Amino acid sequence: MATTVYTEADQLEERLDQRAPLVLGGNDFHSVTELVARPIDRPGNMWWPAFLVSLTLLGVYGVAVAYLVWEGVGIWGLNNPVDWGWAIVNFVFWVGIGHAGTLISAILFLFRQKWRTGINRAAEAMTLFAVACALSFPTIHVGRVWLLYWVFPIPNQMAAWPNFRSPLLWDVFAVSIYGTVSLLFWYTGLIPDLATMRDRAKGALARKLYGFFALGWRGSQRHWQNYESAYLILAGVSTPLVLSVHTIVSFDFAVSQIPGWHTTIFPPYFVAGAIFSGFGMVLTLLIPSRIIFGLKDLITVRHIENMAKICLLTGTMVGYAYAMEFFIAWYSGNPYESFAFFNRAFGPYSWAYWTMISCNVISPQFFWFKKLRTNPLFVFIISIFINIGMWFERFVIAVTSLATDFLPSSWDYYSPTIWDVASFIGSFGLFFTLFTLFVRFVPMVAIAEVKTVMPQADPHHHPAAASKHGATVAARGGAH
Amino acid sequence: MSSHPATLPADARLHIEAGHSWAKLPIVAFVVGVAGIAGTFALGMGNTKQLYHSWLVALLYFLSLALGSLFFVLIQFLAKAGWSVVVRRIAENLAAPVPIFALLFVPILMGMHDLYHWTHADAVAHDELLQGKSSFLNNGFFIVRAVVYFAVWSFLATWYRRQSVAQDQTGDHAYTRRMTMASAPGVAAFALSITFAAFDWAMSLDPHWYSTMWGVWYFSGAILSAFALITVFTLRLQGAGLLRGVVNGEHYHDLGKLVFAFTVFWAYISFSQYFLIWYANIPEETSYFAHRMGNSWESVGILLMVGHFAVPFLFMMPRTIKRNPATLFLGACWVLLMHYVDIYYAVMPNLHHEGVRFAATDALAFLGVGGVYLGLALMMMRKGALVPVKDPRLPESLAFQNV
Repeated sequence: MATTVYTEADQLEERLDQRAPLVLGGNDFHSVTELVARPIDRPGNMWWPAFLVSLTLLGVYGVAVAYLVWEGVGIWGLNNPVDWGWAIVNFVFWVGIGHAGTLISAILFLFRQKWRTGINRAAEAMTLFAVACALSFPTIHVGRVWLLYWVFPIPNQMAAWPNFRSPLLWDVFAVSIYGTVSLLFWYTGLIPDLATMRDRAKGALARKLYGFFALGWRGSQRHWQNYESAYLILAGVSTPLVLSVHTIVSFDFAVSQIPGWHTTIFPPYFVAGAIFSGFGMVLTLLIPSRIIFGLKDLITVRHIENMAKICLLTGTMVGYAYAMEFFIAWYSGNPYESFAFFNRAFGPYSWAYWTMISCNVISPQFFWFKKLRTNPLFVFIISIFINIGMWFERFVIAVTSLATDFLPSSWDYYSPTIWDVASFIGSFGLFFTLFTLFVRFVPMVAIAEVKTVMPQADPHHHPAAASKHGATVAARGGAH
Repeated sequence: MSSHPATLPADARLHIEAGHSWAKLPIVAFVVGVAGIAGTFALGMGNTKQLYHSWLVALLYFLSLALGSLFFVLIQFLAKAGWSVVVRRIAENLAAPVPIFALLFVPILMGMHDLYHWTHADAVAHDELLQGKSSFLNNGFFIVRAVVYFAVWSFLATWYRRQSVAQDQTGDHAYTRRMTMASAPGVAAFALSITFAAFDWAMSLDPHWYSTMWGVWYFSGAILSAFALITVFTLRLQGAGLLRGVVNGEHYHDLGKLVFAFTVFWAYISFSQYFLIWYANIPEETSYFAHRMGNSWESVGILLMVGHFAVPFLFMMPRTIKRNPATLFLGACWVLLMHYVDIYYAVMPNLHHEGVRFAATDALAFLGVGGVYLGLALMMMRKGALVPVKDPRLPESLAFQNV
């Protein structure tokens, strides 16, 4: 049976009467399974070095945290006005990255963006790992980590409760609910693929483990029906959660009266920034992965282009928010507010501010050009800038407003110590260790979902008759 | 689930022909509009402050419907949407009358002194804050900005409708490509212009007050009510025997989902703005809500929470509501009503600090501005097909299913 071979050129052709193919090459259902399972069968010679480097960085994090617990938060560069330093910056940075996965799996699902199937699995996994990194920072920044349970409203003999009016407490709920639902969503989507891995497993242990986690999936009509309903409900539940998490994170700052923190646009502005940084990180991870693991037919240039467009959109939305803040700071006539923004742009932290503007607002503007956004190497480079820029955004917000507060006599310049740097770099160790383990043991593309957007999934598909230009709209899936 | 054919049914009625019940509607709307305008001015001349505030509410309301429709058209091209092609022409027709709002804006220019405190030279002379803003809030620049906004919107609305109608003749794909190309810069220009228009015309009514969210608030109401208005028009057109076999429950389901989703978006934006101001409790910001509490405006605020959010949120949630023409019509009309209350609540407390005071001019200006705007939109609908008949994605839209 001949299968139509789609090429990158077919995909980028932009025909208006039919949707671009999402799976390239002459793949059929079987070859897609083989393609995705290959990194698990034969990890290649890149995996061990990558894993060991990640593990080493994780060790750095372990040392930094151990010393922190031993010595206390005094080892960080915190000073009197800046009592919230890199810990909060890193927390917000990682939580932001943790937005793309569930956005792709939930919101793009509700918007029927079929191209999400190529990237949702890895992006959701990335989300979970980013949320894990994010949660580690509030955990360690309390200093006495053994008292962390105090953040939960547990009845106790001291009648001491967390402050229910504090957004920091809402964060505990928001992030943990988000993490839980994201995990459920990811796992639900995984079940059919885990069953696939079970059925093709050669070793007894692998078959047992995949079988255990596949929950007895047999792919019956009834299984699929329940699966589809569960998936839709989880998508509906996750959608407000994606927005709520960074909204609550923005409240951490915006409910205060500190100039530069308190402004009404913060909630949607933070959400846009989170999606921007999340897609930046997805691009950073998937552009090399698709080459290393031979997944170029599934994670195509078209996928990269679409993500680049989302980066352009959300980066520009972030730029809009910066502009609104700046304009209203002037328009308000409030001298503290105007000073806060003037100081950001031209004060002691202007280097950080302009790094942020260049990376977040200017660098995605290159994506206006199709030539550039369909060049994976170029998109990869810009994605690194996006990661840098979004870290600096949180640094600029958290530190500049505190360093120069209402009382000039207490102003101080914040400099990180080696331990700040070690815990930030080390958190990448946690992130990449989890990610390398993920690509080693879990199918990094949603096999079952990708198959549904292939021409073969259409009941009217006739392999022999299907030609590139004769295929119907429905049969070719839908890349928007 | 039945499947829908990907071609236009041969007996589908896509034109409002002479003699059809909708053919007379533009005239009816224009008569109502002219009578409304005449009545507004005849009755309002005794109290020009009330007159211009009534006018501003009506203008901001119907302008938001037209702008929301324009945004709908832009994002369909930006996202290369397929499902919406069968309802896109209706949105294009609802957006196309935007230029008339430049004319309807003239009373605002006449009433600037009654509306905007910052135009009072004597007040500015004793107010340091207003002096600081005077390089932005001054008569000349205000007018220049208004000209720019109307130029941007008029160009986009007119150009998109023209391109789309021209495609009906030839079916040339180049039209779609051009409209797709223009949509991204179009959205950027739209975002900036609607933001600053909202700052200028509504936020500066209280020139001491400010909120970075204000532009997003006006946008959220505009896009929500545009989804509702497109739904209402599609339903009524179909009720009048048009578009049969073209628009079906699948498309209504999607429109209903958008009304539902953007009800939440509006609530999210409005709540965030209120909540952050309430929590920080800074006097220069709380003034906005302070005027709206402790008097009858407080009830309007509660009405918005319940009526603009809770009611449509719960009502529009079930699938059956969105797929049933009667219930969907009810939900969409309700949203349109609540959007009027929202605009009224933003503008009127600046005039009536003491509490809600309805005036006859409120109703007359509503009929006046609405009659002229909808009359023009209905006239547009009479010109040409009600569906982009040669759009390359029309087959996809006709065959579309919610799966």
